[in-house]
Amino acid sequence: MFNFHSPSELQLPARRRFLQETGLGFGSLALASLLNGESQAQTPLDPLALRPPHVPGQVKSIVWLFMTGAPSQVDTWDYKPELQKRDGQDLAGADPKTGFFTTSGKCLKSPFAWRQHGESGSWVSDLFPHLSQHVDKMCFLHSMNLRQNNHAPASIELMCGTNRPGLPALGAWMTYGLGSLNQSLPSYVVLHDTRPRGDDQIWSAGFLPKTYQALALDARRKEAVDNLARDGKHSDAQQRSQLELIKQLNQEHATTRPTQADLAARINSYELAYRMQMAAPEALDLTKESEVTHKQYGLDQPECATFARQCLLARRLVERGVRFVQIFAGKGVGGDGSVNDVPWDCHSDVQTNHRSCGLHTDQPAAALLADLEARGLLETTLVIWGGEFGRTSDSQGAKGRDHNPNGFTIWMAGAGVKGGFHYGATDDFGYKAVEKKIHVNDLHATLLHLLGLEHTKLTYRFNGRDFRLTDVGGELLGEILA
Amino acid sequence: MKFRSILAVLLAATAVSAFAQTPNDEGLQFFEAKIRPVLVQHCYSCHSVQARDAKKLKGKLFLDSAEGVLDGGESGAVIVKGKSAESLLIKALKHDGIEMPPSGKLSSEIVADFAKWIDLGAPDPRKGDAPAKPKREISLEEGRQWWSFQPLKSVEPPTVAAGTSSASSIDRFVVAAQQTHGLKPNGPATKEKLIRRAYFDLIGLPPTPEQIAAFVTDASPQAFEKVIDGLLASQHYGEKWARHWLDAARFAESGGYEFDGFRPGAFHYRDWVIRSLNSDMPYDQFVRMQLAGDVLLPDDIQGAAASGFLVAGPYPGQITAKTVERIRYDQLDDMLMTIGGAMLGLTIGCVRCHEHKYDPIPHQDYYALAAAFAKTSHGSRTLDLDSAATQQAIEKHQADHEPLVAALRTFAANELPKRFESWRAAELAKQPDAPRWQVLEPVSLEAERSWLKELPGGIVAHDGLLNPGLKIRQRGQRRAVGNEEQYRITLHTHQKNVTSLRFDLFADKSLPQRGPGLNGDGSFQLVELKVTATPLGLMAKDAPVELKLKPVFAAFEDKDQPLSNALDGKPATAWVVRETAKKDNAAVFELETPLAGFAGGTELLVDLKFRDLGIGRLRFSLSTEPNPATWAGDVVPQHLGEIRAILAANGNKLPDALREPMTRWFAPFDTETAKVVRTVRDHTAAAPRPNLSEVYTTVAGGQDVFFLRRGEVDNKQGKSEPGFMQVLWRGDGPAVPAKTEPPIDPRVALGDWMTNVDRGAGPLLARVIVNRLWQHHFGEGLVGTPNDFGVQGDKPTHPELLEWLAAELVRGGWKLKPLHKQIMLSAAYQQSHEVNAENLKIDQANRYLWHFQPRRLDAELIRDSLLAMGGNLDISMFGASILDNTPRRSVYLRVKRSELIPLMTMFDAPEPTQSIGERISTTVPTQALAMMNSPFVRQQAEKLALRIRPSKDAPLGAAVDRAYQMAVARLPTELERSRMLAFVEDQRAAMGGDAVVATDKALIEFCHVLLCLNEFVYID
Repeated sequence: MFNFHSPSELQLPARRRFLQETGLGFGSLALASLLNGESQAQTPLDPLALRPPHVPGQVKSIVWLFMTGAPSQVDTWDYKPELQKRDGQDLAGADPKTGFFTTSGKCLKSPFAWRQHGESGSWVSDLFPHLSQHVDKMCFLHSMNLRQNNHAPASIELMCGTNRPGLPALGAWMTYGLGSLNQSLPSYVVLHDTRPRGDDQIWSAGFLPKTYQALALDARRKEAVDNLARDGKHSDAQQRSQLELIKQLNQEHATTRPTQADLAARINSYELAYRMQMAAPEALDLTKESEVTHKQYGLDQPECATFARQCLLARRLVERGVRFVQIFAGKGVGGDGSVNDVPWDCHSDVQTNHRSCGLHTDQPAAALLADLEARGLLETTLVIWGGEFGRTSDSQGAKGRDHNPNGFTIWMAGAGVKGGFHYGATDDFGYKAVEKKIHVNDLHATLLHLLGLEHTKLTYRFNGRDFRLTDVGGELLGEILA
Repeated sequence: MKFRSILAVLLAATAVSAFAQTPNDEGLQFFEAKIRPVLVQHCYSCHSVQARDAKKLKGKLFLDSAEGVLDGGESGAVIVKGKSAESLLIKALKHDGIEMPPSGKLSSEIVADFAKWIDLGAPDPRKGDAPAKPKREISLEEGRQWWSFQPLKSVEPPTVAAGTSSASSIDRFVVAAQQTHGLKPNGPATKEKLIRRAYFDLIGLPPTPEQIAAFVTDASPQAFEKVIDGLLASQHYGEKWARHWLDAARFAESGGYEFDGFRPGAFHYRDWVIRSLNSDMPYDQFVRMQLAGDVLLPDDIQGAAASGFLVAGPYPGQITAKTVERIRYDQLDDMLMTIGGAMLGLTIGCVRCHEHKYDPIPHQDYYALAAAFAKTSHGSRTLDLDSAATQQAIEKHQADHEPLVAALRTFAANELPKRFESWRAAELAKQPDAPRWQVLEPVSLEAERSWLKELPGGIVAHDGLLNPGLKIRQRGQRRAVGNEEQYRITLHTHQKNVTSLRFDLFADKSLPQRGPGLNGDGSFQLVELKVTATPLGLMAKDAPVELKLKPVFAAFEDKDQPLSNALDGKPATAWVVRETAKKDNAAVFELETPLAGFAGGTELLVDLKFRDLGIGRLRFSLSTEPNPATWAGDVVPQHLGEIRAILAANGNKLPDALREPMTRWFAPFDTETAKVVRTVRDHTAAAPRPNLSEVYTTVAGGQDVFFLRRGEVDNKQGKSEPGFMQVLWRGDGPAVPAKTEPPIDPRVALGDWMTNVDRGAGPLLARVIVNRLWQHHFGEGLVGTPNDFGVQGDKPTHPELLEWLAAELVRGGWKLKPLHKQIMLSAAYQQSHEVNAENLKIDQANRYLWHFQPRRLDAELIRDSLLAMGGNLDISMFGASILDNTPRRSVYLRVKRSELIPLMTMFDAPEPTQSIGERISTTVPTQALAMMNSPFVRQQAEKLALRIRPSKDAPLGAAVDRAYQMAVARLPTELERSRMLAFVEDQRAAMGGDAVVATDKALIEFCHVLLCLNEFVYID
């Protein structure tokens, strides 16, 4: 960590409100130690300072592979023999209000071949020849369900715990709760190519300080982080001497304003920025990786190169202490008629669409699991795979599936969760979650728990109310914990 | 009441008798045998009345009565009768998520028993003789005692110790509090600091060196007051203070959610706020307008812009059957939360699902407030930007028109006859014969949803669209624009024996897809074409005749949608030109009975009725040649035909009655005649039109609001009627709008209640806004939670001062500018920022204002200041929003919810989704990166360097001085100056080369340093 130049022990809040708010989340300890002048190294005014968890957590970082557009549970991880048998027959209890459009009410069997894998004997469709080799690491949550049935509101619900925009996302809460492990890199990074539908609202800091907002990196852009590069005409030596002068003048300015801790933080932020200029390009530089690694992830293959780049970037970021990396899967090259910002959205043809999306994501995701494991990082990293909802078991048109928030599967692998484990279940047709239904608040409570945060204690007061990621709900999914 | 109790008895009796005979007997036995003993042994210790009395109750759950079990606890219901799988109790017993009892899992037999019991319907004989759940009863009387809900008190500023007798009222409150705490306030800040503070506070821009010098050298006691007056009168005042209000109003210009649809007319609300603040609109009116501007000023764009407040929140663009109702209640909630937070400083949102947990706001109050918005939805309207000016212009145009017409008449009576006669005698015979088709030049044009104009050659052209519902003034009459497009084209002719008509339609690149239709694909659907002939002339007595048209040809017809459909009198059929659009088209009609023509001439009224939009370019021609009609033959103007027809009918003479009409036909042959005719015609064509603009605002829509149990849309409990918050109601009778005839609009009533100081929420409204004013002058409000004046919010640091300010506001007619001035004239505001150890020990947080608290500028002001440094701030005001590659002030930058402008959010501009009372100020390296490396900041440094660049012989030190004055409103100290000069020298030396060029470059580096200083982005 770093030291602030501290003009005196009078390290006092410039904005008592902000301090109170920061303090509220963690009890009054931080506030008291600040006022007693005990905390010199890190002022709690630094919103990214490392903070102790509520309880020891097993997960340091999360990589969320967001399957934008929503894959079908019954064509990926949730095998339903009954659905296969009753292709074309009436789907009992089909609800026309489930999807976004109108569905046929007739069962549509999965067009993919299914096989059991691993010691757990988990069923996986042939969309995932690589990932299926890792089923014994995976903890499948088959009974996810949401209230929203359109992409942006559902993505917001899944990440922020409620369907209305303006609330902080999981990644923002995480950083708020735990601080950052690497002061030269942002703690919450989103990797996308086409921006997913819902955009900034899915990785919003909401009413939390903007510091906790995700840094969204466009995989297609050359300069990933704004303002990271110096003006071309400006040499390092010039900038260094400027920074020295700025520091000197700012310190003099701060000396006569001893109650302004933010002035010290701002002095320090120039040093951090200077370091970030180097650290961020280094973290994002994939030429540092061997050709073997490139091939392992599939960077050499056009159909999955983008996702491969994102997965490899994710590993490099996690290695460097980034807390939360969320990858929004982009469009493959399958020519499946899907839309760029919701690639898995298989309204017209689940087979062609999912085949293309599978090709785009399977090998890189499997490589990420293997690579994290080989480096020992999977012991502190949790990888999550899933979309914003599931699909209907009945058909839309002849071969497509509509949105279905009533039951879908996500899986997690890595730190703190059981491997080869299946939790909850949908009905015989994979249409609705029926056993151990998982509310998004439950999922969040469990993820926070894995990080060492108690979801009822992680609060932030805004407009007179103590907000939580889990709103007024949230139950720990105790069974899935390793 | 009586009825209900009888019913209850009946129900109870039925229940009892049912018990005696049904298998529930068995169920009760099962309960006694298997369930009760377990509950007693394992659960009562934490979940019973006894446990509560021993303060050991957990989770607010009582398992010692049937009622308690059914009510559930903190985590909600614990059982779902008949559905053990969905019951929390079973989950808990299975240690699935919750672990109960915590001492250890019970045997699977016991768990199975509980599952069976629930599946049986959870029969339970235990009477809830104890209160199952401690419920907080809201007492409105007690609630009204809360400090912020009380009536406005009249407070006298305290008398303070000698020596401060000249202190302002505000200072007397501040000093009294300081004295109580043993604090000594600072002396005044330097004049340089003070003017910088005042400029940023009031207009959000730095003072120029000249403005600073003028103030510093003004020794009069009113020097600062003059500065304040000048700034309050500046147009920039509204731009700075609008931004604060726009935060509270969660203003943005897009819908958020799925597609984040842009709202092109939303900027009018922002402009309205700026204008209202600049004109010092009384704050109570400011509030009333935002709640009901569209009703208070109907059809006025300012009224519509104001109520844009209600609909500035997010709203999904895609709605499905499953979500439509939920979204509607979300929208109402968005309105109420914003009204609550921004205007009343109350958190109303919680009350959607339950009674307020802290404040005295009952559940039904929420729905009573929501009911005021039942008939309010959101949308775009097109309105006149300045209807008064338009009205004036129309009146002036009419007044100007009459003399021109009179001049034409005089000319026709006195001048025309001899000119015509000499031409007739000499020239007429030389004129060519008319071919088959003569173009009918329109006399007047009208359309339901459009403006039409005449182009040369008798072509009727579309000239702009009107929105349905829009109210416009036409021919001195107000009318509402309808949905269906209709054209009426008036034509005149004196020709006899008209045999056929021709209707031309032209494609043109100005039309969508080249037209000729105006629909997006260039198509049109002509439902009906009707031509009526009426006699011209005041004395004519003949009856109008509808011409019987027989469609002969159409150049292009879509399959099954032929031209004849436009003549069949059926509204369901139409001549559709879609597939055959994008090119010129034409139709020819024969008259079943040739039109003989009226003696004094014939007026042809052509009515065209369309589905959707009309036709972009069209023209009518007539023929007097015998049928069958044909395309063949040239097309010429009608005037020769008309002249010959008139002469033929009147013995080769121009009759007196036709002198005036003849001016038209004769104009092409005589320049003087042409002049008077053109003067009238041009003036007619220049008739003023409203200056229309699209505004995003409230529109009629929505439906009844129902009271929702637990806020669930499928749990409706009856219709809600408009009402007010009871705790803020001091009138007689219930807190509902007074019954009047005609009934008052519920939103107007809401505004009246909100601003009423005696009976309504006026005192709270005043307290909240004066606190905001104070907050943005001092960095912190007297109440530290500007959006929460409820029980969970902070209490005021200076309650009496807040009360006095609120009363002062009301006394002054709710005007804000005088209050700004009073605040800024106080010694408290003008004091210096220094801190001393003595005071610090007593009041580290500066609650009692013993020094001025330095603070960072808001994002918009940082950007505006940078632009000001570069000398290229564009100060033009208002209008559609723009992206950030503009030198205009940041308040005009586009606010699109999914694409917020990075420089703004980086410096803590808030997410515009909920009312924000106070911005957080963060310090993160991305801000430093922007200051160090962004091309924008670099450009400003380069421009600043050019501005301060010394003339040939001037010392470099003068440039440094000037830059300091511009950036931080002061001269550098000796030490700073010498350091900066040394820095410039070092940089120059490092760059080498031509000394002048190197110095210029080195100055850029110096300026860049200056912009990175904390002092540049802080005021103190």
